[in-house]
Amino acid sequence: MLEVRDIVTAYGKIEALKGVTLSAKENQITCLLGPNGAGKTTLMMTITGILRPRAGSIRFHGDEIAGAPAPQVVKRGIALVPENRLVFADMTVQENLAAGAYLRARDKAGVAEDLERMLTRFPRLRERSTQAAGTLSGGEQQMLAVARALMTRPDLLLMDEPSLGLAPLIVDEIFEIIAELNNDGTSIFLVEQNAHKALEVAHRFYLIEQGKVTFEGTPGDVAEDEVIQRAYLGSGAV
Amino acid sequence: MIDFIQNSVDGIMIGSRYALLAIGFTLIFGVMRRLNLSYGPSIMIGVFVGTFIFIEFKAGWMAVAAATLVGAVIAGIYVERLCFWAIRQGAALASMVSSFAIWMQLEEFVTLSFPDRTYPFPPLTGDVPLKIAGISIQLSYLVMFAMATTLMLALNLALYRTRFGLAVRAVSENPVAARFMGINTSRVIFFAFVVASALGGFAGFLIAANEQQVTPLFGLWATFKGLIAMMLGGMGSVPGAILGGFLLGVIERQATWYLGAEFRDLVAYGLLFVFLAFRPGGLLGQRLAERERLALRRV
Repeated sequence: MLEVRDIVTAYGKIEALKGVTLSAKENQITCLLGPNGAGKTTLMMTITGILRPRAGSIRFHGDEIAGAPAPQVVKRGIALVPENRLVFADMTVQENLAAGAYLRARDKAGVAEDLERMLTRFPRLRERSTQAAGTLSGGEQQMLAVARALMTRPDLLLMDEPSLGLAPLIVDEIFEIIAELNNDGTSIFLVEQNAHKALEVAHRFYLIEQGKVTFEGTPGDVAEDEVIQRAYLGSGAV
Repeated sequence: MIDFIQNSVDGIMIGSRYALLAIGFTLIFGVMRRLNLSYGPSIMIGVFVGTFIFIEFKAGWMAVAAATLVGAVIAGIYVERLCFWAIRQGAALASMVSSFAIWMQLEEFVTLSFPDRTYPFPPLTGDVPLKIAGISIQLSYLVMFAMATTLMLALNLALYRTRFGLAVRAVSENPVAARFMGINTSRVIFFAFVVASALGGFAGFLIAANEQQVTPLFGLWATFKGLIAMMLGGMGSVPGAILGGFLLGVIERQATWYLGAEFRDLVAYGLLFVFLAFRPGGLLGQRLAERERLALRRV
């Protein structure tokens, strides 16, 4: 579904991605693990069109999207749940969800249907639907960010460190939601530092270190402890 | 006491046009986090287009209003393309400096094309003083106030009830997150400029119609009033801009009455200084900035 090939992305002279190759299959949860600074978020930004790659190709459903501007990438069916949620703090929960459906505004019936579905799936959002998003707790904001991304009816959902900064119980809840979404048919590409939880739900995972993919495999195949150590501490420490 | 009330009423009437100017500034600042120093001058272009067709074609006030609006919008687009769209991701400072340069350019252009000190502008209504509950109000002021408030209400509706308004608010809050929703931030900024210029153009028309004359100093004047009103109310906040505009109007009137005309601007700048020193977010901006900070801290 998503084929990333030899992507090079740089910030000025610094190459953050030095030729990344990976793929995400339909209806699966693909996970990208790696230590801080490895390039995980940079890759997300490149796929979603916020950053332009210097070289390489990104194919989605066979079409080349590398370098395409963000609104186009969203139109093609890729939605991102950003690192740090990035909910619109001053807008209400409902308005945030409406923002998610921005490109589908003409399909009023479909959007209303999806809105209802989101509020049913996330009852806590329904409780707070007229509250400003900034007043929600971290876990609730995460749910809102996920629901907002789902409002675009994406073919592929990208999630950048959904467990960041959340309490363990909430993290469990979030990963339950991720597994549920996948069971209901959503393809997910997950970037995580919490390798433990990520490997519990992933069908396939990659390890990225210093801008390159250094490992790929299926959970259960390999000694996961080593992978987890490298993901948290970098290969120097192993 | 009656003087105080009279001044306050007059101040609110006058303040309504400052509010419109401030809203334009704040809209642009909100979506781009950059100050547009050519905002006043672009309105001035509009006003001079209006005076031109008044002089050349003896046009009525509606045609002049339309011409002013169109002129302001065209000038606004010129500024946006040159100073802001062209200097995209880079230094915000570069944009502000170039908007300052364009301010100078527009002012020079007007001074060269219209060499006389002042030019006539058609009035909206006659000079008819009304008396309501012992307070005297100029009819022209009342009409101006009514039109300005209608515009503000319309803008509010647009911001909170339309898809475009949602996009503007999203881009103002978080342009990166807005792009993830598929919102074309460049286009939103462009249209925000158009709306801000139209608002400003109309404010310019109201002001010029009230003074019944225009001078090339209008750009500078509008910039100061709009900026001060915006900062009093809180940068990036539309309700703040409205509040700031009214506050400025009232303060000016009271200062003129009790202290004399020379003190009017001194008091206004003094108030701005106090705000910047102790409450830089302005009346309403502070609260919003506070909330945003708290929301981010939860992460």
